[in-house]
Amino acid sequence: MKIIVDRQRCDGNGVCMGIAPEVFDVDDDLYLHVAENIPEDPELRARVRQSITSCPILALKLVED
Amino acid sequence: MTHRIVVAGGSLAGHSAVAELMALVPDADVVWVTGERHRAYSKPALSKEFMQARNEIADLMLPGIEGDLGRLRIVSESCASLDPSGQSVVLGNGERIGFDQLLVATGARARMPDILQGVGGVFPLRTLDDAVAIRESLAGKPKVVVIGGGLIGCELAASMRTLGLEVTLVEQLQSLLERPFGGAFGTYFLDLHRDNGVELIMGGMVERLAVDNGWVAGVKLADGTTIDAQLVVVGAGSEPCTHWLEGSGVAVDNGVVCDTYLATSRPAIFAAGDVARWMNPVYGIQMRVEHWTNASAQGRAAARNMAAALTGRQELRKAFGDVPYFWSDQYGQKIQMVGWHQGHDHVELDRSGEAPGPLARFYRDGRLVAAAGINAPRIVMKLRRQIEEEARALQAA
Repeated sequence: MKIIVDRQRCDGNGVCMGIAPEVFDVDDDLYLHVAENIPEDPELRARVRQSITSCPILALKLVED
Repeated sequence: MTHRIVVAGGSLAGHSAVAELMALVPDADVVWVTGERHRAYSKPALSKEFMQARNEIADLMLPGIEGDLGRLRIVSESCASLDPSGQSVVLGNGERIGFDQLLVATGARARMPDILQGVGGVFPLRTLDDAVAIRESLAGKPKVVVIGGGLIGCELAASMRTLGLEVTLVEQLQSLLERPFGGAFGTYFLDLHRDNGVELIMGGMVERLAVDNGWVAGVKLADGTTIDAQLVVVGAGSEPCTHWLEGSGVAVDNGVVCDTYLATSRPAIFAAGDVARWMNPVYGIQMRVEHWTNASAQGRAAARNMAAALTGRQELRKAFGDVPYFWSDQYGQKIQMVGWHQGHDHVELDRSGEAPGPLARFYRDGRLVAAAGINAPRIVMKLRRQIEEEARALQAA
């Protein structure tokens, strides 16, 4: 599982961070950091998928393994 | 026999419900009655990026629905009525569609006071068509009057100032964004808009429009002054689209009344999004939330509960609890609110320096119920989790 951030779009809302803080972190400069390796945990991965569909500006894309 | 599910409403709640239903109920036919001539699109950008021409229509479109599309029919008509038997909807074109289950996700529409209707150059902002119409009228560099100092009004004022237009904002109250932010930031928003060159008229009562050959020429206030305007944009709030449910037996009270599972008062009929007033277990009260992230999560949750009822898969059935979230972008400031501050009895302004901008925590009976921050997404989102976790602990106790 890999996440691609569209840097042109992402403006640091942090909706993703609210849903899956283990994977997403928006810093005080509104820059989104994404974890390199996402654990195999199915519950977490379900939340990561939810983060991606919940992005209000469609800045996130998911590439499944 | 194949089951048929009707999803009424073509915005985010309907979109996320249709996507979920297609995945969870593989043998049902889904009819998506959108009431929109456009594909589902992102609304938060309309007053911000789209208005500032930083993105275009194609950038707003939500992803297409996946799955066996032979089972999905998309109808751009809107719903005219719901049969009192609770088993079919009638569309605007007269077509009747029977269903085994219905999701009401018809959203809300912009409120437009009578005195502002029927005049050229005057627009609400709710839909993509509204946004396109406003954007097109910006080409002639009009003098703009914004009516209403709520979220839409303030975002439009900020976008139009960012484009270099002359903007006057008229608000009945003495403060901006009073309702969404509960007054926590004092004069912050007044200063923000004033510093960015918006002419603010606080406590201003709009009496009528000055009209020249059918087009707006100005806004007349109750104190006798007239503000010149070639473009008037109106942010006067919204109302849930429940008119088509009259006489259907579905209980409506400022929105469609739902339980914690998003089920309405009628069997097999659910609701989600701006139109739904549901019992939120996080707060133990009925609330109607008109924000983007809620519509997405609620549409998905309603779809899962519908799938549980239809397929008997009880593991899908879940109460829907949510800590509401919305944000605003004005002049490069990221303004965020999590939770439900209505009914709070105490506000605490954070001066610890932990957050880079102003930060407020709202309490009720000693419990954290909401938080708002400016340019502080990390701490605001941390507080969102805290509110949710404390609510869960409270329910378990």
